[in-house]
Amino acid sequence: MNRYLRELSVAGALGLLLLAMAIFAPGFYQPQPLLSLATREAPTLVVACGMALVILCRQIDISVGSQFSVCGVAAGLMAAAKVPLFLVVPAAIGIGALLGAINGVLIAGLQLPSIVVTLAMMVTLRQGLNLQQQGVFVNLPDGVQWFGLSQLQGQWLVVAIAVLLTVLLGLALRRLTAGRWVYAIGSDAEAARLAGIRPQLGTFLVFVVMGALTGFAAALNLVQAPQVQPLSGSGLELKVIAAVVVGGVAISGGRGNLWGVFVGLLLLAAIAPALIHLRIEAYWEKAIQGTIILLAVVTDSIRGRAPKHPARSH
Amino acid sequence: MAPPLLELRQLAKSFGGARALRGVDFDLQAGEVHALLGENGAGKSTLIKIVTGAHQPDRGTIRVAGELVDHLTPATAHARGIACIYQQPALFPDLTVMENIALRLEAGAPFARVDWKGRRSRAVELLRRIGAEISPDAEVRSLSMPEQQLVEIACALGAGARIVIMDEPTASLTQKEQHLLFAVVRELRRSGVGVIYISHRLEEIFALADRVTVLRDGETVGTNPIAAINEAALIRMMVGREMTQIYPPSEAAPTEVALELRSLGCAEAGVTDVSFQVRAGEVFGLAGLVGAGRTELARILFGLTPADAGEIRLHGQVIHPRSAVEAVAAGIAYVPEDRRRHGVVLELPIAHNMTLAVQRRLFPRGWLRTEAEQSLALEFIRDLAIKCTGPDAPAGSLSGGNQQKVSLARWLATKPRLLILDEPTQGVDVGAKGEIHRIIRRLARSGLPVLLISSDLPEILGMSDRIGVMRAGRLVGVLPGGSDAHAVMAAALGQEQGAA
Amino acid sequence: MSVATPTSPAPRAWLALLRRHETILLLVLVAEWLFFYWAGTSTNRRGVVVGFGTLDRQFDILRHTCEIGLLALALTPVILTAGIDLSVGSLLGLCAIVFGGLWRDVGLSIPLAMALTLTCGAAAGGLNAVLITALRLPPLIVTLGTFSLFRGLAEAITRGAVTYTDFPTGFLALGQERALGLPTQAWVFAFAAVAVWLLVHRTTLGRSFRAIGFSPEGARYAGLPVNRRLAFVYILAGFIAAVAAVIYTARLGQAKADAGLGYELFAITAVVLGGTSIFGGAGSVHGTLLGVAAIAVLKNGLASLPIVIRLNAAEELSGVLTGALLLVALTASVIPRIVSRLRPRPAPPVSVP
Repeated sequence: MNRYLRELSVAGALGLLLLAMAIFAPGFYQPQPLLSLATREAPTLVVACGMALVILCRQIDISVGSQFSVCGVAAGLMAAAKVPLFLVVPAAIGIGALLGAINGVLIAGLQLPSIVVTLAMMVTLRQGLNLQQQGVFVNLPDGVQWFGLSQLQGQWLVVAIAVLLTVLLGLALRRLTAGRWVYAIGSDAEAARLAGIRPQLGTFLVFVVMGALTGFAAALNLVQAPQVQPLSGSGLELKVIAAVVVGGVAISGGRGNLWGVFVGLLLLAAIAPALIHLRIEAYWEKAIQGTIILLAVVTDSIRGRAPKHPARSH
Repeated sequence: MAPPLLELRQLAKSFGGARALRGVDFDLQAGEVHALLGENGAGKSTLIKIVTGAHQPDRGTIRVAGELVDHLTPATAHARGIACIYQQPALFPDLTVMENIALRLEAGAPFARVDWKGRRSRAVELLRRIGAEISPDAEVRSLSMPEQQLVEIACALGAGARIVIMDEPTASLTQKEQHLLFAVVRELRRSGVGVIYISHRLEEIFALADRVTVLRDGETVGTNPIAAINEAALIRMMVGREMTQIYPPSEAAPTEVALELRSLGCAEAGVTDVSFQVRAGEVFGLAGLVGAGRTELARILFGLTPADAGEIRLHGQVIHPRSAVEAVAAGIAYVPEDRRRHGVVLELPIAHNMTLAVQRRLFPRGWLRTEAEQSLALEFIRDLAIKCTGPDAPAGSLSGGNQQKVSLARWLATKPRLLILDEPTQGVDVGAKGEIHRIIRRLARSGLPVLLISSDLPEILGMSDRIGVMRAGRLVGVLPGGSDAHAVMAAALGQEQGAA
Repeated sequence: MSVATPTSPAPRAWLALLRRHETILLLVLVAEWLFFYWAGTSTNRRGVVVGFGTLDRQFDILRHTCEIGLLALALTPVILTAGIDLSVGSLLGLCAIVFGGLWRDVGLSIPLAMALTLTCGAAAGGLNAVLITALRLPPLIVTLGTFSLFRGLAEAITRGAVTYTDFPTGFLALGQERALGLPTQAWVFAFAAVAVWLLVHRTTLGRSFRAIGFSPEGARYAGLPVNRRLAFVYILAGFIAAVAAVIYTARLGQAKADAGLGYELFAITAVVLGGTSIFGGAGSVHGTLLGVAAIAVLKNGLASLPIVIRLNAAEELSGVLTGALLLVALTASVIPRIVSRLRPRPAPPVSVP
């Protein structure tokens, strides 16, 4: 029971928020806006799953927002050039995986601190995109939005795909040997090495998967609008890190699971619309996100889940 | 008759110039508990590291189950069923017991499905086999140290270990936990596993072992069936050596009491009710086995783990250092055991290292004064005969003995009122060792009280004016300086108590 | 016999000086400057020299660099202790808003508003410091949280829309006029640079930062007050970020919630480029200053290249190059380690404690 305390308490907080909404702002519970909200957050969920893997490995990736934008624009340009969607999606995944691999080589191969590497990647990719795109939106041809389905069907499909992917990844993390290796590497890389696991290879692959998931998330975002905004992913990194940390994944690695991340993301996703319904201005969102990250790590530390190495985590 | 599980012949190993093993013979039969005994530095840990494949021997042969093995690596040692249970288990703290066991046992394909049911029943079975009452779902970080050791043993058994090495397994166990562990060891023996059991506790050896081998100075002194030997003979075998080093004679004319401990204790550090006095100009040696609480006592005095019982009087004044900063302000100097991690900052120049603890005094208002620093450093370099290219050379570029002198200089610069030396000559070559001993003498002569912690028995005997012996976090005896090795060892091992 | 003379033969000293990171960086900086002087200066139709080579442009570079330069100065001690502070850019934004708000909405005088803003910056740094030292949280996640929090507060206070403008000309002189021949804020920057240089290179505090960066445990065993020193560097970083905020406001004549957005990257890049190890301990303030200069010249030099002007891509190009530069500098910094790892080792890694 105690093992899931964190997940349950986050779920409890979500429940309280939803209850408060039911009492003070019942207008929140309308099926169509809720579905739209879920659809908007679906790509975020996919990225958060990847981020959970990265943080479980005791690393961090703050370049996911820029990766997301790059994949989105690249996929959009391809779609605009009439490449069929069933090729665009794998291409987006591939581009993401490639970007992740660059991070992976620098972090796992050269043992550079992930925070600085991904900070540099974040800006390089973002400004590179600006340079290429000059802020111009990519217009998509017909048949791309909602996979050519009706909006309602498309929305359900996007949400279903994201949830299905989360469930599959969650199961893989729990039930496949490779999933357990992620925990082992994040818990104690040296003990992992002694147990015959290759921590550097594992970390590299986790960054590749992170990139691939980001690419896929960008594709899920692509189909939601008639055009692609060049900076669709800005600020995404903070949102997913917040979701992962709030969901109980320890920043010191090796602890947490995707169910917690799922609930954490629901909580964070509900905050912005809740603010609007509760007539608190939406400008507070970023401040609240920051506060939630800090509160989550502070409670972790107080509950004795403090980082094993109080210095910087590399 | 089946060949022995493990047979070592004439193993030798040197590190740099130091000869750790000079030709050790050892054999282990199936279904036997073979105790390995020896002072610190007798070569036990080197022997283990060779058997587990961490070190390669310079000479000698290793046979496992009769088969000659010429290159043992950690992986091949593992494959041949050799497992070692360390005092600090190498487990994953965030994962459950079951997962830890599984991760160690299953190499597995990355996309193989984890058989949670099979893992659980396997873990339950292994834990039951050693009689451990540990939930397979408990997180390892929530377990006590002995429970973690049991998990390690379960891992070793699960991996089909035929040779299990236990390195001081009871060092941190309570009485009850020890009995549990003994039951496990006997169970292992019954199932045909060979156990190499390393311990300093003679009563354990007599309770558990079938045979005992004593190492001294990297050589086998002898192997005896346990029934054919008694405690006194064992102690004699361990310490029976002539003095190889000449220690500078004591000229102490101890005067007033400089340091007084009254029932000092700290639960966190595992130190209880320690009382003794050190006079100005006296070298007070602290003997004891590894884990007896000597370093822990030093850490209490230095404020790193503040005391929660008793009091410390330094020159008549009650002090209660709650941090190293306060201890330094009170005039306590501590030359720590782990030189490379704590004693010096390897990357900083010698001069900076030497002034790190005297910044307040040497640099009033915080402004560095290079000339003052350089002259202080040059003075100590000359005074302590530190071999270096100059005060600006990084401390890491020096040899062990010279690093130790830098660490010592840092504390002498503070003009301390109490000097604590923790293993000051560990890993130091013979020449530097003699120099350090002469420096200690000189300091004592100048009236400084010195607390000398050392696992090198001749050093303790040769340098100390009086010797306090610690065991299991308590002071079990204070012996006069001229005591013989036998008496000190007996007290440290818990035989024939001397009065405290 | 045992003591060698610390003086070494002169040619050796020359070589060592040449091999120093700072020397190489200085040469790169000069080359960079000369290149832009050559490629970015032209004469317009009326025969007036325009572009990179003019004195006005050089002053402009200085003006535009002061804020990022200040943040880099703030980060140097932090990174020396093996820490990181990602929140300085956000804090610059928050302090700019606080300053504007105190002056216009609360109606305080400029000097009083400045003093309170600086206090606010130090207090915000104090929040980082408490979380990092008292709760022993990793600086990375703490300052990532405050990175979001500070920017969020700035947005919340201004509701994302308010811009504070119409500051008195006396105040704007700080950011837009010259004093004694140089842009006014350059004097502030110079003062801060000298102060931080003295702090890092000439005081016992600076010495402790290095010791902590190299070996926090070793520093503790030497009796250094590690937590107090760490708290100091984060509070100082907050304070300097507030100074940068005031100068930023004076230069632009306005305070907006997005002030200093992304500046942390330029500052971190300048510090790492300047030779300060991201793993702590090694580094220098003059290296940081050279790093700042290299980035500033790059940024402004690019803006004066005809092709970049035609593409209107100076901002983006300098961002890409800065990020790439940081990656290259980081990679270069670990090359010695990699090389030594590739050399054959005498024994396999020892896994026994």
